[in-house]
Amino acid sequence: MHIPDGILSVPVLAGGAALAAAGVAMGLRRLDDRAIPRAAILSAAFFAGSLIAVPIGPTSVHLVFAGLIGVMLGWAIFPAVLVALALQAVLFGFGGLTALGVTTLAVAAPGALAGAVFGPGIRRAARPAAAMWRGALAGALAVLGAAALVAVALVLSDGHFAPVARVMTAVYLPLAAVEAAVTAFALGFLARVQPGALSPLAVRA
Amino acid sequence: MRVHLLIVAALLVLLAPPALAHSLRVFVTAEGQMVRGYGFFVGGGRPDGAAWRAEAGDVTLATGTTDGEGAFGFVLPGPVPGDIVVTVDPGDGHAASATLAADRIGGAASPPVPAPGGGPTVHARPAAPMPNAAEIEAAVESAVARQVEPLLIRIEEMDARLRVTDLVSGGLAIFGLAGIALWLRGRSR
Repeated sequence: MHIPDGILSVPVLAGGAALAAAGVAMGLRRLDDRAIPRAAILSAAFFAGSLIAVPIGPTSVHLVFAGLIGVMLGWAIFPAVLVALALQAVLFGFGGLTALGVTTLAVAAPGALAGAVFGPGIRRAARPAAAMWRGALAGALAVLGAAALVAVALVLSDGHFAPVARVMTAVYLPLAAVEAAVTAFALGFLARVQPGALSPLAVRA
Repeated sequence: MRVHLLIVAALLVLLAPPALAHSLRVFVTAEGQMVRGYGFFVGGGRPDGAAWRAEAGDVTLATGTTDGEGAFGFVLPGPVPGDIVVTVDPGDGHAASATLAADRIGGAASPPVPAPGGGPTVHARPAAPMPNAAEIEAAVESAVARQVEPLLIRIEEMDARLRVTDLVSGGLAIFGLAGIALWLRGRSR
């Protein structure tokens, strides 16, 4: 998910940046005072957690938490992810600054979508187990969506579909399984101890 | 509520052992006409089976896939027009490049050239002729390249490593931004 400079074409970079900017603007508008500390905590978790990766074949993968953050922040996932990715690029050289828009879009858009689709069901779930199952789906589909968006950006820039699809399938399917387990665990824990934390608008339980 | 969020955030960060950081880098060096190196992930791990290519300007010198240790290597086909850029590309967008400067290429294996003024005219021991200046230079460059390679590797790894201070700084910067956002909202009301 950390795309360096010089990989993507200019139209892809520009399109990604424009869409990410729109998402960030939408996220900031919907971020209320009580959700700001939550966004900071999740952004910090993403910042530190996505630095931790495991080599798989030709590449290495890290947890993304897109489904989890999307459920808990809604559209505010965009600014949360943007800040974390920008700091990773500046402090560690992970990913290029020119690709920040595409990377933000790839992580945040599926997360926001997963939050919109699965969030209401997770918040309405009568039992934590039901929230966990929906959370697992949100986590897995969000990371697969992120991989698909990165693949689309690479193919639009380079035009070679087969090698990108092969690597993405081999690498991100196992990651989706792990991401599903982590998201299910985190959302199940919050559903038991603090259900109000599952709402992007920070509604107190 | 924030305590629970902090618990979840801390667990998320700790959930992924073995902890290996992630960002591809490339190390490349030359010994004579042989160019070799490897890709590595910051913090540990090597890309196994990633595509690599070596280019000098617009000319592609060699291509291949990395071995299980992330390594690549090739013999220069001849004189190169300038710096060599080796790119390792796993195919998922995590490509990385390293540049081998032209003045580090091919020195040890330069074809011997006659010393100015020709060779020595008197051979005290014909069975073991004195090496000429070019041969001595090539041998020295080869030996130096071998000696400094571990240092170059070490420098590359130190340059690429994750620093705890940067990690903490990043986390604190995020919370600082949140504080600024809250302050700005408070002022606007």
